[in-house]
Amino acid sequence: MKKIFNILSVAAIVSLAACTDLDVPPKSIASGDVIFEDASTYESFLAKIYAGFALTGQQGPAGSGDISGIDEGASSYIRQYWQLQELPTDEAVIGWADGNLPDLNTMSWNDDNEFITAMYYRVFYNISLTNEFIRESSDANLDSRGFTDAEKEIIRQYRAEARFVRAMSYWHGLDLFGNIPFYTEEDAIGSDAPEQATPAEVFAYIESELIDIENELFDAATVPYGRASKAAVWALQAKLYLNAAVYTGSERNSDCIAACIKIINDGTFSLWPTYSENFGADNNISNEIIFAALFDGQNTRTYGGTTYLVSAAVGGTMDPTAYGIAGGWGGLRATSALVNLFPDETGSLDQRAIFYTSGQTKEITDIAEFTNGYAVPKFTNVTSTGARGSHENFPDTDFAFFRLADIYLMYAEAVVRGGSGGDVTTALGYVNQIRQRAYGTNAGDITAAQLTLDFILDERGRELYWEGHRRTDLIRFGEYSAAGVWPWKGGVQSGTTTSAHYDLYPLPSSELIANPKLKQNDQY
Amino acid sequence: MKADNYNLRSKQTGSGWFRLLAILSLLCASFIVNAQERTVSGTVSDGETDETLPGVTVLVKGTSRGTITDMDGNYKIGIADGDILTFSFVGYETKDVTVGSQSVVNVGLRLSIEQLAEIVVVGYGEQEKGDVTGVVAEVKSDDFNKGAIVSPDNLIAGKVAGVQITPNSGEPGGQVSVRIRGGTSLTASSEPLYVIDGVPIDNSAHNPGGFSGGRNPLNFLNPNEIENITVLKDASAAAIYGARGANGVIIITTKRGKAGQEGKVTYDGYFSVAELANRIDMLNAEQFSSVIIAKHAENIDQMGTGNTDWYDEITRTAIGQNHSLSFTGGTETAGFRFSAGFQDLEGVVQNSETQKTSLGFNYNQSLLDDQLKINANIKSSFIKDQYDAGAIGGAIAFDPTQNIHDAGSRWGGYFEYAEDLAPDNPVSSADQVQDFGEYVRNIGKIDITYDMPFVDGLSATLSGGYDINLGERKRFLPSTLRSQSSDSGEVRIENIKRINPMVTFLLNYKKELPSINSSLNVTGGYEFQQFTSEYPSYRAYGLSTDVYGFYSGNIAEYSETYNSYESSRIISFFGRANYRFMDRYLLTLTVRRDGSSRFGPDNRWGVFPSAALGWRLLDESFMSSLKTVFSDLKVRVGYGITGSQEIGNYRYLATYTSSFPTAQYPFGDEYITTLRPNGYDQGIKWEQTASLNVGVDFGILKGRLSGSVEYYEKNTSDLLFEVSVPAGTNLTNRIITNIGEMQNRGIELALNSYIIDNNDLSWNVGFNISHNQNQIKVLDGNSDENFEGYLTGGISGGTGNNIQILSVGNQVNSFYVYRAITDENGNPLPDGVDHNGDGEINLADIYKDTNGDETVNSEDREIYGSPAPKFIMGLTSQTSYKGFDLSFTLRGNIGNKVYNNIASNNGFYNAMDGSGNWLQNVHASVLETNYVTPQYFSDYYVEDASFVRMDNITLGYNVPGLQKTNIRVYGTVQNAFVLTEYSGLDPEVGNGIDNNPYPKARTYVLGLSLGF
Repeated sequence: MKKIFNILSVAAIVSLAACTDLDVPPKSIASGDVIFEDASTYESFLAKIYAGFALTGQQGPAGSGDISGIDEGASSYIRQYWQLQELPTDEAVIGWADGNLPDLNTMSWNDDNEFITAMYYRVFYNISLTNEFIRESSDANLDSRGFTDAEKEIIRQYRAEARFVRAMSYWHGLDLFGNIPFYTEEDAIGSDAPEQATPAEVFAYIESELIDIENELFDAATVPYGRASKAAVWALQAKLYLNAAVYTGSERNSDCIAACIKIINDGTFSLWPTYSENFGADNNISNEIIFAALFDGQNTRTYGGTTYLVSAAVGGTMDPTAYGIAGGWGGLRATSALVNLFPDETGSLDQRAIFYTSGQTKEITDIAEFTNGYAVPKFTNVTSTGARGSHENFPDTDFAFFRLADIYLMYAEAVVRGGSGGDVTTALGYVNQIRQRAYGTNAGDITAAQLTLDFILDERGRELYWEGHRRTDLIRFGEYSAAGVWPWKGGVQSGTTTSAHYDLYPLPSSELIANPKLKQNDQY
Repeated sequence: MKADNYNLRSKQTGSGWFRLLAILSLLCASFIVNAQERTVSGTVSDGETDETLPGVTVLVKGTSRGTITDMDGNYKIGIADGDILTFSFVGYETKDVTVGSQSVVNVGLRLSIEQLAEIVVVGYGEQEKGDVTGVVAEVKSDDFNKGAIVSPDNLIAGKVAGVQITPNSGEPGGQVSVRIRGGTSLTASSEPLYVIDGVPIDNSAHNPGGFSGGRNPLNFLNPNEIENITVLKDASAAAIYGARGANGVIIITTKRGKAGQEGKVTYDGYFSVAELANRIDMLNAEQFSSVIIAKHAENIDQMGTGNTDWYDEITRTAIGQNHSLSFTGGTETAGFRFSAGFQDLEGVVQNSETQKTSLGFNYNQSLLDDQLKINANIKSSFIKDQYDAGAIGGAIAFDPTQNIHDAGSRWGGYFEYAEDLAPDNPVSSADQVQDFGEYVRNIGKIDITYDMPFVDGLSATLSGGYDINLGERKRFLPSTLRSQSSDSGEVRIENIKRINPMVTFLLNYKKELPSINSSLNVTGGYEFQQFTSEYPSYRAYGLSTDVYGFYSGNIAEYSETYNSYESSRIISFFGRANYRFMDRYLLTLTVRRDGSSRFGPDNRWGVFPSAALGWRLLDESFMSSLKTVFSDLKVRVGYGITGSQEIGNYRYLATYTSSFPTAQYPFGDEYITTLRPNGYDQGIKWEQTASLNVGVDFGILKGRLSGSVEYYEKNTSDLLFEVSVPAGTNLTNRIITNIGEMQNRGIELALNSYIIDNNDLSWNVGFNISHNQNQIKVLDGNSDENFEGYLTGGISGGTGNNIQILSVGNQVNSFYVYRAITDENGNPLPDGVDHNGDGEINLADIYKDTNGDETVNSEDREIYGSPAPKFIMGLTSQTSYKGFDLSFTLRGNIGNKVYNNIASNNGFYNAMDGSGNWLQNVHASVLETNYVTPQYFSDYYVEDASFVRMDNITLGYNVPGLQKTNIRVYGTVQNAFVLTEYSGLDPEVGNGIDNNPYPKARTYVLGLSLGF
């Protein structure tokens, strides 16, 4: 017995010492070395890249968030893009005391602002995802992974769409932050911190990318809803060129006109007869929308996106069910400056004036009180037939980045700004089409003499308010910081001008620490 | 309001103190002697050294008459002829002397052998207490906290210097946070490693998504089955656990049978009654309506006609019971123990409960003339938990003027608001939500030890063990719940399967080397442990009827399934050498090499060494003069490196996570499951803590007073912290990487004193106090003077709001707040008023401009204390007189701050009219602050939460005159009182952010122990 035991113990020692394998692969999440062998991976990855605008994580509405350092719902791309584009302007205020959120109302933020920080990281999150996608879907990789030609064809098209999303995010980064780090698929994960680029360099890159991918994308007539078509490229070109002077110092109005004409002549898009239906639960039926981030009450849930836009605008004595939701978050209202753009606040003349006034004051004496300032239930979870969307907490409403009315107004503006390739008569026709829809008659039509830059800025306010365009527009018109006054601008109720450095948002302090190559925007 | 509370409580507690003192003085008074015929006197001394012994108890046997020797060892006592005197003293054998006709009786006492050779548990073995060079604190079962205790960590709260044990909620069996000498991690866990009968266990609580938190994973262990709990505090003791030792190690050893022992049956049972110890200070219906009339006159019509105390409606007096039965016995070569237990404790909130049925078995056998020993342990428990439905949160907010029921309501007959964001009727939630957890946990281990022939002193031990945890968490939400208006009924079930096998192989060599006056004890080992967990779950909703309850899966309109799997492995080689020279110079060296699958191939293996020296000073000849003062004096110095790897799995690896069904993205008419590449850091590695410990063990007054003083310094480097990466260089914005440095420094004092010790009366008191100073040294690669730090400590209220900061040079999780301007009464100025008369209403009206830049903004927030106490104290007293015994544990923290989030999130007038057509109750602090809008970041809510708590006090009686049978009855009051100025529910809050409304209980226990 003793002998047996001795032998056994020696055997045990030997066998145990051999057990030193520490490779324990994951199973319920995939590891990178296997997943790209499967062709369906590329579609799922591309869906994630598009979802970068709409969703905040992998669980929906919250859980397993993409970026950290902020509440997941507030990390939503569209929610923050909307806040940065609207809250400092004459169109909106928000009443919540969340962290440094109140500073956005009064143009008094600094580089520690978590909402600005979240937007910055959202922009670069999309860029990172796209770079990774482009690396993985390189021709060399596709060849080595043994895909069929048909599969390769599809994946290459995905790659072009991913590049469109990257161009969109670079444009947002350029517009909001100006001097941003720049890197492409050439820079692998974990590589050195990227260098800062000038706005002109980023502008040139976006321009070249858009030209490069234009022909690879779907035609607008055949694109599956939600994905980027050639028209989406043109719309982004129009935006880029119209604002070129802000980014590079040189006007590119003629290029803007050319891009607008491509969209208009494509023939796929037309003004949707009822203005408000562009912001309802079934706005996917509107053939005015050129490119949108999509949401769905059952399958695509978030606390950002249009959930935020619909819910945060409801409070006070409003009945949430009238807007297709179970409860309002009571945050967003308009300043009186927005109300004053319209001939009357009831919407009986210009139907675009969607204000809820009962129990609300027009002027705001206390931003924190929801009942100060008119509520704006422009976005709703109600369909064109009056039905509720598929869920009472998560609207089905999509968020349009670009729609035809915007293209018409850009065309007109570029013409008035002296761009060639278009003409005032056509421009006037487009503007009056928009106004005829708004008034339901010709009563709102304007003359060629009335088509001035001032008019266009106001008209953009009336047509496109609360759609995430206002800050960019005001800056282009020189009315954002050092000029232009509206309630609570600069932190006083009557409003005051602010320092011009607020035209750009600061790079987040955390980014400056992480990447010492970057120089902060002036005066932050 | 706050002041009233305090007075009330201190009055209450004051009387508690008096009662205690009265009992103690009564006990002392009964010690006065009578009935004496003549006097005998003498001197008591140490039989070996002839030194006189002061404080020896001299008792007339069979009576209560007695005295104590004076400083010179002299005594005098009255006796009758034929009396026998009993001399007893701590550390010495008790001696009986028949007096006869003598008038002088001098006695020499012998040192008790048992006392010298006290054995303590250390990692992978045992050691004589006198030889220990590390900081090892043992708490024996006799010294455990008493009362209705579910999880074993609560048994030692207040017993060990430098160990802070904080319950995270008042629910029975709730999660507990344990910090040994302060936390060493920011992102990774700072909980210690638990080792149960040699099996290091996975102690992470299971908190599945979609459910409220789970319970303490240690609950499965029956406290009655625990022999002792040993805490390894410093690196010298803990480095043998290498990569898992940085936060200290808690070794739990269970009871076992002994060979040669007679059969013995014990029973221990109790009944308990728990009541609310305190309540949250919300407005009552009368106060509520007067505030509505004053502040929200436009909403008067929204008030109800009732008068409901929602808190009362969902809380209760909770009943509990516990029965524990064991049978121990042995043959000549084998010992065994069998135990069974049943525990059922209700929570003070309706529908919260924990129920445990436990079985334990130990068998040990020695064979081949003691050369081969086999020991096997199995512990198994079945736990059934019921979780409260979160109703307590609703009870805080719900309008007290509303009635509970509403005959016309579609919500199960309960009054509810139409709007989604309105609070839910708490009684409806408590009655209708069904939320259960059922778990089976089984831990087992078999050790085979063989004394090698041929080499004297060499033995080998092969152990195989496992820890298996299987269970299910399930919740049914009927469609008649207001929260189900959209999903119309939901059932969610998540299974848990954790299987963690392990193998250990040890070689031990023990040798006395008298020729060179040395003794050597060397251990070498190998260990393999694997952790695998799976959590398949499903959620079904859209129920056509509620009748199927948990079994509604078939009738649900929608269902979703999920699965997650995690696995990790640790492989280790380790060794320890204990060397003793001339019986007074002690050296311990340990080293462990750990390999962990959690890190990439380049960083998998880490080496964790330690060294410690001990010097039994008293044994030196030059110290002999001090022997009259000291009975023990030992100096220890230890240094070592330990690690922490509690960061989760796969962080070094490129992984891809697919989306849940609710996070798909539409392409045309089709919804696509998305796939996300996750951020990762290929170079991630262990956190390392280098710690130094200097300590002195001493005993004076012949061991009547003994204790130790420790100084330690722990420097953690490669601290895992989530830092921002340069945007674009990774697949997320922040990555957990090894970047920070942190320091914990502190001193500890532990004292134990046998004040009285004789056959009839004994009284011993233990006291410990510790001070820990924590400081963050480095947080990220760059130092920017303007960068305050990383905000942390999410609060309830608003979105993404944080109240704490991680800031270089400061304590972890320091509070970061505005400084409120106060009026002459010390109340903060109300908001919405232009106090400074500048024509604007803004932050400058109510908060101080701390940086002097003429505006008040977020840059004026300041660091204001931290949740970590400056001092932690524990006082334990055990007194017994004849059959009676009285013991108590007092615990206290000094200098810890708590953020009263319940007040800050509910204490402002705007909270009353919600954001829709309903009213909400507010915290009574609003009457003091008059805040209209939320002031989350006001220092008003950061309160000093220093406290002294009578943790448990027990009075017991052993029925006398029984042979071979013990019968003891006892009564315990747990959480008898708390002395504190903190205005919230309870001053002990794990992370310092008080937003868990589950109230603490005061529990009365009546118990019976039998042994025969």
